[in-house]
Amino acid sequence: MISTLGHMLILSALVASVFGSVTGLVSGARQNPKGTLWTQRAVYVFAWSMFLANFLMVYALLERDFSVSYVAQVGSHTTPTWVTVVSLWSSLEGSILFWGAIIGFYALIFTLKMRGRYAEYVPYALGVILFVCAFFSVLLAAPANPFAPTQGPIPLDGPGPNPLLQNHILMVIHPPMLYLGYVGMTIPFAIAVAALLRGKLTAGWLKPLRIWTMIPWACLTIGIVLGGWWAYEVLGWGGYWAWDPVENASFLPWLAATGYLHSTVVQERKRMLKVWTLSLVLAAFLLTILGTFMTRSGVFNSVHSFTQSPIGPIFLGFLAFLVVVCVVLLSLRSHLLVDEGKFEVVVSRESAFLLNNILFVVFTFTVLLGTIFPLVNEAIRGEQISVGEPYFDKMAVPIGMMLVFLMGVGPVLPWGRPDPSTVLKRFVFPFSVGLLTCSVCYGMGLRGWMTLATFGLCGFATVVTIWEMFSPTLERMQRRGESFSTALRLSILGGRRRFGGYIVHLGVIAIVVSIGASRSYRKTIEASLTPGQSFQLEEYTFVYEKTTMTKEPNRTSVRAAFNVYKEDSEVGVMVPGLNYYRTQREPIGTPHVKTVDGTDVYLSVLSVEPDGSRVGVKAFVFPLVFLLWWSLPIISLGSVIALWPKRRRTSSAEVIPA
Amino acid sequence: MNWKIILISVILFGPLFWALAAGFGNDPHAVPFVLEGKKAQDFQLTSLDGKVVRLSDFRGKPVVINFWSTWCEPCKAEHDVLQHFSKTYGTTVQFLGIVYQDQAEAARAYLKNRLNLFPQLQDPNTRVGLDYGVSGVPESFFIDAKGRIRHKQAGVVTPQILVDWLRTLLTEVSSGEGQ
Repeated sequence: MISTLGHMLILSALVASVFGSVTGLVSGARQNPKGTLWTQRAVYVFAWSMFLANFLMVYALLERDFSVSYVAQVGSHTTPTWVTVVSLWSSLEGSILFWGAIIGFYALIFTLKMRGRYAEYVPYALGVILFVCAFFSVLLAAPANPFAPTQGPIPLDGPGPNPLLQNHILMVIHPPMLYLGYVGMTIPFAIAVAALLRGKLTAGWLKPLRIWTMIPWACLTIGIVLGGWWAYEVLGWGGYWAWDPVENASFLPWLAATGYLHSTVVQERKRMLKVWTLSLVLAAFLLTILGTFMTRSGVFNSVHSFTQSPIGPIFLGFLAFLVVVCVVLLSLRSHLLVDEGKFEVVVSRESAFLLNNILFVVFTFTVLLGTIFPLVNEAIRGEQISVGEPYFDKMAVPIGMMLVFLMGVGPVLPWGRPDPSTVLKRFVFPFSVGLLTCSVCYGMGLRGWMTLATFGLCGFATVVTIWEMFSPTLERMQRRGESFSTALRLSILGGRRRFGGYIVHLGVIAIVVSIGASRSYRKTIEASLTPGQSFQLEEYTFVYEKTTMTKEPNRTSVRAAFNVYKEDSEVGVMVPGLNYYRTQREPIGTPHVKTVDGTDVYLSVLSVEPDGSRVGVKAFVFPLVFLLWWSLPIISLGSVIALWPKRRRTSSAEVIPA
Repeated sequence: MNWKIILISVILFGPLFWALAAGFGNDPHAVPFVLEGKKAQDFQLTSLDGKVVRLSDFRGKPVVINFWSTWCEPCKAEHDVLQHFSKTYGTTVQFLGIVYQDQAEAARAYLKNRLNLFPQLQDPNTRVGLDYGVSGVPESFFIDAKGRIRHKQAGVVTPQILVDWLRTLLTEVSSGEGQ
């Protein structure tokens, strides 16, 4: 019953998306409002079919209806309710179904927001969105049908989802956030393709492009950081980023989209870099499809890979088709998107932006190359290799440092043709703070010139960013005699995108500082202990007390209790553990992390005797990791401010005395 | 038509797609196993009930070696499957268990109330485990009648895997290939 109903919903989504994509593109070409109306209706049908199909799958999972193949694959009577619900995206077919719901959601909101506006572009954009929807519906209708009936006898119980997904509550937020980021890139892609199909890019159409890129960009950023947090809290190897192919797959579109968010500023201000900007938007979307291909094709060896599946070649075909469409469109239309401004001097705000863009593109290629190099090597030489941290760190660290440097330089440089002596004067204070930061860190006993330079650059960029955030406020206070709070409020309202952008910069600086400190100054030790024994790491002492075992329906957990002291004062009890799942060969750890005076004390169990008579543990001390997680609210706040609707701005602008 | 864009794209994307397409058919979770097809290292171990067992004693028939331990949950899950197959295949296939990084006492206690049809061997200092490149438990090795390692199953061995491999190895024996 559920199988049939679910399959019907998928088919209805397929029909709606195919129909809507045709009417959208045709009515875009003919500029026919009636066709646009039908395209909008197709979006509604697609979105609601997908929502209902997802609800139906969650219902089947909760009911443990093992006659549905996907439920038989990931369902289990023993898993808690929250795990059962997140099983929706824990495996290949379900994750594509969930993808369908998210694209439906985006398409629905986009359609509603754009109703009656941008009539010359919207039907094209809707047609493109529905074309992408149609592709995913085809996958769901046949090769990755989650509603397929179970073959053979219906099992009484299933294995449950991958144990790694059952181990931490972050699994509820990390994948949906990442999906919101990935899937959301479809909208800016459609907007960009619409501009290419129309053969013009007006300032008006740039605005939705920017807003609809910022939304998935923010979600992707949060999703990536949450993924790092999850790895840190669950995997127990004491890291948050490993340059795993699939981590890279999420980082690639982020890099392209971040490049776009910067180049669009130049485009709006100077009407330059049009083709380049559109190419970055197209690239960001194509990279999300590449990322999806990576996890679902079985081509990459990664913890994130789903099982081998026949959809790999279909995905690659789709990606190839999209690339061809983008390249042909760009080559046919590039002459229409002529730059109106030009670069005047080498040292100016626009050239800083250009350099920033080049760095983002180089970064993207570097990561892409490292990710696919093992495949190239295997194809040519037939041997398996892996490209790991040494390569990526060597490449990413200098590029990252240059980007932080530009983060400080860019805002200080004026647009156009700046006067060199004024520019130099503006740099004196931030540079001094950067140097001071370096010296203070050195004085505190920190070593390693790369790390010290990174901290110095971060100090420099922070001063510039904070100055740029508050200089309009100070100017208002001086010129108009407003109080600080009024001036601040009105300057934020008057330039919320700029202000939000700088807050995001502060979040990124927090991430860079955290990565620099935690990677350069981490300390680690392994120990094997019997109850009552202790070991020391830096100024921390860990005393092993005892082990407790709890049996839960879906797993057996062993927790080892340690009393932890910092010099003579007690830090508290830490209880890292191991969880044993029936379906998983290796136990999955639950490390315990305590933040003491800005430093993370991280304890992870490696092995444990069943009776607790001996335990093997690994302890780490990581400085400043907490900054990485704090960047989340900072970046979210910045994005929300930057995205806040403009209507209020007009009303507040009216109250500003002339 | 801007041919420059087309040319750059072909140079950029051509190799990318070629590399991606070349990767099809790989198992993303496969761990390279260098001993496949090589002669299985002989060993002499004492079983939990004190008998000395050599791998070479079983030359001429397929052998399944299962590394397990009492602290391993999935090993417990596959215990009954292995016992059942050992019973079904009787003398045509030799099953051997090797207790991996565990106390003999714990293993004896575990097996006491369970079906236990084939020799369970102790592996002091994990010598045999190292020879066979065991990276965790459970791991099962399928050795043909000629004494070559044909397959390593890392993780739980399912009835389907056992049926497939034992059928292959036994067909070779009957057709004379494996002799």
